[in-house]
Amino acid sequence: MAEILQYVHKDGFFHRLHPFSKILFIIVASVMCVLATGIPFLILMVAALLILAYASHLHREVIQQLRLVLVMSVVFVIITVLTMPNGATLGYLVPQGVPAIGGSLPITVGAIGIGLVLALRFMVLIFAFQLFLISTQPRDLVHSMEKLHMPIDYILMFIIALRFIPTLQIEGRRIHEAQLARGYNPGSGMIGKIKSVAPIVIPLVSNALLRSNVLGLTIDMRGYRTGIRTQVRERRLGTGDYAMMSGLAVTIVSFVIIAIFASGLIF
Amino acid sequence: MIELKDVSYTYPHTVQEALHRLSLVLAPGRCIMVTGPSGAGKTTLCLAACGILCHEYGGKKAGLVTINGRNVADYTGLSEIAKNIGIVFDDAEAQMIFTTVEEEILSALEYRGLSCEEIEKRLASIMEVTYLTALRDRSPHNLSGGQKQRVALAATLALGNDVLILDEPTSELDEHATRRIVEILSGLKGQGKTILIVEHKYAHFRDMVDTLVVMEHGAISAVGAPEDVLRDERIRKIVIPDFAGIKTRAPLPEPAPSERAAATPAIEVRHLSYSYDEVPALHDVCIRVNAGEFVAVVGENGSGKTTLVKQFNRLLTPTTGDVEILGRNTRDCTIADLAHDVGLVFQNPDHMFFADTVRDEIAFGLENLGITDTDAVIDAALDEVGLLPTKTLYPRWLSRGERQRLAIACVVAMQPPIIVLDEPTTGLDGDEARLVMEILKKLQVQGHTIVVITHNRDIAQYCADRMITMEQGRVISDART
Repeated sequence: MAEILQYVHKDGFFHRLHPFSKILFIIVASVMCVLATGIPFLILMVAALLILAYASHLHREVIQQLRLVLVMSVVFVIITVLTMPNGATLGYLVPQGVPAIGGSLPITVGAIGIGLVLALRFMVLIFAFQLFLISTQPRDLVHSMEKLHMPIDYILMFIIALRFIPTLQIEGRRIHEAQLARGYNPGSGMIGKIKSVAPIVIPLVSNALLRSNVLGLTIDMRGYRTGIRTQVRERRLGTGDYAMMSGLAVTIVSFVIIAIFASGLIF
Repeated sequence: MIELKDVSYTYPHTVQEALHRLSLVLAPGRCIMVTGPSGAGKTTLCLAACGILCHEYGGKKAGLVTINGRNVADYTGLSEIAKNIGIVFDDAEAQMIFTTVEEEILSALEYRGLSCEEIEKRLASIMEVTYLTALRDRSPHNLSGGQKQRVALAATLALGNDVLILDEPTSELDEHATRRIVEILSGLKGQGKTILIVEHKYAHFRDMVDTLVVMEHGAISAVGAPEDVLRDERIRKIVIPDFAGIKTRAPLPEPAPSERAAATPAIEVRHLSYSYDEVPALHDVCIRVNAGEFVAVVGENGSGKTTLVKQFNRLLTPTTGDVEILGRNTRDCTIADLAHDVGLVFQNPDHMFFADTVRDEIAFGLENLGITDTDAVIDAALDEVGLLPTKTLYPRWLSRGERQRLAIACVVAMQPPIIVLDEPTTGLDGDEARLVMEILKKLQVQGHTIVVITHNRDIAQYCADRMITMEQGRVISDART
């Protein structure tokens, strides 16, 4: 089973980058997608990330999350249409012919636009963070964060949060199977999912709490919190890193120039 | 050296002592094996011996624990104690922090103040000793239970401490893998390491154990050289599972070929193959289990045993081939349909418990099958497994052995003709393991078909009518016991 947001052992462009370069990459991608409001520009960013994933042999992992990302994007658009009517009306979710409530819940051009912007920003953030996480070993992440003088306890908390994702994923599947074997048939769709909450979530949370206790003790007993570390197999900045940084510099400068002289392309 | 003097401990929010006036000396270079029923305080003893109770847990504490002559309370914390003691906990999965096997072990080595050369040398040596070199780049989360236990052990061995505390390090391992761990630990003992090991597999460890400790109800009920301790018959039954005499019922007569062809088997597996994504797990498996039979499926970790039984209630659907349950092809049934015919008890009972009481836990399965008048059925099922007095208790408060029996009761109450159990004696002492097997034998006598997955060939030999052996996804032998 594919693990969500977990390191994948491969040898590609992204894997060879120093964690600092990758951190810089996600900062630039995040800031640009938050500042930009132009739909074509955001589509361009999504396309660029997918090309980067393909070039780094990580497209399979990225595409595996595509379904979830698309579902969330549709949800964003629907919520925006329902809550932020704005601009010309294209139609109504409740047809005008319906007595009393007819003509309510308008579908507006503005709301669809805002929804699409939110969905595209979400895609950029997810793909950028995914590329970063699946190509960086937690050990390298710890070292980089240590160099940025982050407290070791915060670093370990971050690592543990990431590490619990596959644990919960695998544990959830086992619990689901155990309950299905007892004749549990929650049904499909949203109602089925809601009904299945107690028999799945209670054992999941109880087991996770026990696990977190053992995990915390393991971290202590392996001495990770001493902070005294031998710097073994340290990553150094290489050609790929300089290429990435140059690319980011060009992107930032281009972004600023376009924002000043042709803002319509971005905003 | 670790010394415990008159140590008593009560966990927060409980009234019963988990340890009661316990005294024990772990001398340098010695190996102490601790065994006893679940809930006897074995894990709590491990936590006390390495100072975790003192530094990390609340509750009521009494007595004195010293490590190398110094009171554990005088150590600044676990990080300082960790320079002297390495511990492997019983939950291997919870000890996997990083994303590759190599990273897991390397990260433990980085904080020992060693040079880069020493780290690389020790990393290679530990991986070789624990047979993990081939798994170097694998994600620990995707390994089998036994492989995870080896990774957890390797990460602790990498620390290079003179004292090792191991809490059931082989509970999920097959015979072969257990022997590997025994070899590793014997080698470490030969190098002068001190070992405290909590285990139920005395037979495997007998040659390396200097002192055998048997715990019951938080106290030591027997301690000494193994041969002296085992002279007491009652203690012997706790330490060494004795399944003799369980198979009292005459074995089922071998049906004549014509009769065999006519009778509807409980389970019929025909040319079954199954692959996880693109990884093959079962190859052309053919099995026929007759109604009322007691069949043991044995084989090493990863041989396909669990994958096979998951096909019986369609948690998995064959890639090719067919599985028929009481004459119905599983492809034509839903999991919910098959729950009426096949009850599956998983290896870890904690994967199923969510209700507030033992009663409600059993009622869940009954309600799913639409069975009304549940009270009488629940009482009968609890009585069957000897848990009637626990009816109103919270399931997770029960001991491991009791939880295992509750898991069986949950399935028994649903009255499926076929009951399948995945490693039902994991983590149980000799007495508890025998009790579970006696319950299963009783269910067979009542007419249920029983299929048990186990690493323990004694169970297959003394309890089952037939033993099916699997290797690398294939059935390599199928014989009457």
